[in-house]
Amino acid sequence: MKRLTYQEACVEGIAEEMRRDESVFVLGNDIGAFGGALMSHKGLWQEFGDTGRIVETPISECAMVGACTGAAMQGMRPVVQIMFGEFLPAVTQPLVEAAVMWYYSAGKTRVPLVLRMLYGIGPHRGHEIDLHSWLTHIPGLKVVMPATPYDAKGLMKAAIRDNNPVAFFEHMNLYHGSRQEIPEADYTIPLGIADIKCAGKDVTVVAIAMMVPYALEAAEELSREGIEVEVIDLRTVAPLDVETILTSVRKTGRLVITHETWKTGGSGAEIAATVTERAFADLKAPIIRVAPPHIPIPYSEPLNKLYLPKKVEIIQGIREVLK
Amino acid sequence: MKPTNEQLLDLHRWMVQGRMFELSICKLKGSYHPAVGEEAAVVGAFYDLRDEDVAAPHFRGSIIIPYLRGAPLRRLYAGIIGKDTNYNHGRWRGDICGPVELNVMGMYSGLLGSNMSLGIGAALAAKIKKKDTVAIVTFGDGTSNTGVCHESINMAAVLKLPVVFVCQNNQYAVSTPFSRGLACRSVADRAVGYGIPGVEVDGNDIVAVHLAVREAVTRARAGEGPTLIEALTYRVLGHWVADPANYRSNEEVEEWKKKDPIEHLEKDLIAKGILTQEKIEEMTIHMEKLIETEMKTAEEDPWPGDEHLGINDVFAPATIGGSDR
Repeated sequence: MKRLTYQEACVEGIAEEMRRDESVFVLGNDIGAFGGALMSHKGLWQEFGDTGRIVETPISECAMVGACTGAAMQGMRPVVQIMFGEFLPAVTQPLVEAAVMWYYSAGKTRVPLVLRMLYGIGPHRGHEIDLHSWLTHIPGLKVVMPATPYDAKGLMKAAIRDNNPVAFFEHMNLYHGSRQEIPEADYTIPLGIADIKCAGKDVTVVAIAMMVPYALEAAEELSREGIEVEVIDLRTVAPLDVETILTSVRKTGRLVITHETWKTGGSGAEIAATVTERAFADLKAPIIRVAPPHIPIPYSEPLNKLYLPKKVEIIQGIREVLK
Repeated sequence: MKPTNEQLLDLHRWMVQGRMFELSICKLKGSYHPAVGEEAAVVGAFYDLRDEDVAAPHFRGSIIIPYLRGAPLRRLYAGIIGKDTNYNHGRWRGDICGPVELNVMGMYSGLLGSNMSLGIGAALAAKIKKKDTVAIVTFGDGTSNTGVCHESINMAAVLKLPVVFVCQNNQYAVSTPFSRGLACRSVADRAVGYGIPGVEVDGNDIVAVHLAVREAVTRARAGEGPTLIEALTYRVLGHWVADPANYRSNEEVEEWKKKDPIEHLEKDLIAKGILTQEKIEEMTIHMEKLIETEMKTAEEDPWPGDEHLGINDVFAPATIGGSDR
């Protein structure tokens, strides 16, 4: 066992896959000696710099993702980083097309591509925006949003081995946070499988990324009142692990969904609709979504704090469904 | 090195067959975007490549490339109509996207320029794998103004990728003339800004286009990086079949019709005694028959069955392990 941060876990996952498979390469800006934004590529240059598999490019997000798609069509397994999820608008053209290629070619070409993005409200105070729900709308695209170092490493390795384009969101508030024990042995975490981070019988909370630790804080606090909260860490938002959510909701009858992106049109809306379609009779209360208001992310610290729901708002949501 | 007589006849045949094929598609589908008049730029760019070289053509004339690479007309017609016998069971339009089986990277949406980034990616893969394959990327004067075009050429230049960019400048982006799309004199002039060779060729002279591309391919294979070639040509028909094209004068169109690339080569080859009028007629009749039967077969081919809706075929299945291609 070793103890790694989220950032170290991401990088170690990539390094291990680069060692085991020569078709894996990384491409991005400032990913050489500089080490990548927020040390997102730390150590890779030292180990792989002379193999031609660390490709530093000009700032051209659209062509970066398009080129990686073309390389993937030729049998490579690119891991491209556009630094921040905030830059996603620049890459929608090639990304949406990469997503449909398997279907449109009737299985003649696959696009094993990992698109890494840093994002998330936290200490960094910039590049925070969470646009993941744009991507869950597109057929053929997988969306991964880990909440822990252990999951980040296992999901990263699975994403690199996956034969589809995978958008991999790395939360900046978790990035250089607390360490977690990571096994020495090779492991992957399958995409599309949620994880019950805390079992409970009274309420289901489906949480994504940074909202997972906030939801666990809420569960901890409510446990002192005898309320048992089941926290499901979605880990992969697309494809969605509907069965784990339904099984939990059928047990608890109450559902709170929380994510860092907007409530309006957010992936939580899809989860709520799916549960309503498939488990309406099991619901004892209306579903509550705990998510930011439909406004651009405000900059100033007090406004920024008001914008993002955390433990307190999740507790409020839980109390609401328990009424 | 000049093309051999055999190659000249090849170039001529592909242009004639390409045009006849496209004109037959025009009858089949009123929304088709024909490259009539631009065949020298299209065929000249993609002729005489290796099978493993990647062709990343933009939409206009795109369907001629899989034909050049051995696709049967029937399957290509099926791709226009959406029949089961095309390369993807009717899931995607065959007019703008050739089959990957033939190493064609086409357009996976109607948004212009994506093929340019795919092409440089194929070149990047070749470079990482230390193979001497190249990618040929074509685009229009309209596309030359997109962000992805600039990003792709610049990145290819910086990384010295084995790619050849051929701008098929037909002087119109739908109805927008070249002069209202670019303030500079030519697309090739932009090569200076990228630090790569820029070459202007007469896009209606297929020998000139082919020689320019061949030289650029040689440079690319030798690891000397990309070249930007501009083939100046003219879109004789509308943007699409039913386009009234009321934004330009008949005189202008008639002037350019006189510079037809097929007639240009034919005159030359006949004068040199390489080609005869009889041989042209023979080839034309053969192609007419082929078009008739292949199109008829495609029209009678079945529509894709419900199973090709593929609601469970959105994701490629998992494989444990690395590349299996």
